[in-house]
Amino acid sequence: MPGVLALLPEYAGLVDPVAELRAACLAALAWLGDGVVVVADAQGARVAVALLAATGHFGAIAPEGQPADASYLVVANGSARRSEKAPGHLDERAFEFDQAVGTALRAPDPAALARVDASLGEELLAGHVAGLHALGELLTSEHHTVSVDYDDDPFGVQYWVMRWTCES
Amino acid sequence: MTLKLGRHEFADDATLMMAIVNRTPDSFYDQGATWTEGKAFERVAQVVAQGAEIVDIGGIKAAPGAEVDVEEEKGRIVELVARVREAFPGLVISVDTWRAAVGEAVCRAGADVLNDAWGGADPELVDVAASYDAAIICTHTGGVTPRTRPHRIEYDDVVAAAIADTVAYAERAVAAGVDPRSAVIDPAHDFGKNTFHSLELTRRLGEMVDTGWPVLVSLSNKDFVGETLDLPVGERLLGTLAATAVCAMAGARIYRVHEVVETRQVVDMAWTIAGRRPPARAIRGLQ
Repeated sequence: MPGVLALLPEYAGLVDPVAELRAACLAALAWLGDGVVVVADAQGARVAVALLAATGHFGAIAPEGQPADASYLVVANGSARRSEKAPGHLDERAFEFDQAVGTALRAPDPAALARVDASLGEELLAGHVAGLHALGELLTSEHHTVSVDYDDDPFGVQYWVMRWTCES
Repeated sequence: MTLKLGRHEFADDATLMMAIVNRTPDSFYDQGATWTEGKAFERVAQVVAQGAEIVDIGGIKAAPGAEVDVEEEKGRIVELVARVREAFPGLVISVDTWRAAVGEAVCRAGADVLNDAWGGADPELVDVAASYDAAIICTHTGGVTPRTRPHRIEYDDVVAAAIADTVAYAERAVAAGVDPRSAVIDPAHDFGKNTFHSLELTRRLGEMVDTGWPVLVSLSNKDFVGETLDLPVGERLLGTLAATAVCAMAGARIYRVHEVVETRQVVDMAWTIAGRRPPARAIRGLQ
């Protein structure tokens, strides 16, 4: 899921500008098992904690020593430069970047995720590219089931909400 | 405290637009534009469409002028109140009168609020409000006679005087049986006051809010705005809205206005700056 600050309760307005995204995130988070391990930067972790609490998850954020059957929540997103109104204005490279990341997420292609260009991602204001690398390392089993809850760029920022189940 | 205005209740953080509806031939702002009952009713429908929660129907202009006796005042407004009550059941109907006999007639016709702009000149008005479970607006006038202009009135501390008088009035109303949620205090800008008094009341409105009684402000196009900016009636909207913003920051709950749409925007903006209302829809920088 993306680390969208508008998902935080302290930034709530009378109308929710990210209602559809929020619904997708909450549905995916409710699906996670107990003891969720959050992979995020500091802002993304705040969003994750708030939404996990909203779905009844109060499990520890445990980057080290997690059990083998843990659930993981990776907070990251694509470029924020996908339109002239986007936070980072338009950068045409954003589309190819996001296309490649989206394809790697859907496959999933762990090697491609591990190779996402961090420095290009930074230029394109992508959210927490290190999380995408970590996701690549997590998706190590031979078979996965993948479902896509959300894939859109409503503010010129590419968001995905996706679920993966690793089958051993 | 929850605000109860007759049949209607409002949450602690609600701000309310009270639109002025003059059933008069000579009020200072509109000069009789809504003098006929048909025009006055059209004005009600218009301000309801603009989002006003309250209409304040008056049959006598505040300034000195032709005598309007009780029967004439009732004749101007009672039927209008009944018609508005029937057409707009969700609307709060306030009537601007100081007379108990008129208050009784309009409450019977469906009024929710008695707006006593003249600070308790008729002591029996509170009994009428209590009898009909109506709300009452308790204003400060410095004890002047209704429909007179201030002349050389001075106060040691106009804010202290306004608080003392309006709170005493509210307590008298409650003692008479008015619901404590239904007494509202109003410093009454320009009434019994020079421009410096009204400016000081605006600047220190927070002290009235701190009393805990809900505060109404009636600023719209008044002389203190005109004298401050040296502008005639008709060119006072911006000054009115500036004063409105200051009162909203201080926490005033009800705004008696000619211009509903503009005032609502200003109050929502100031109320939100004050942290009492969320933005309508915030996404900038939060994507």
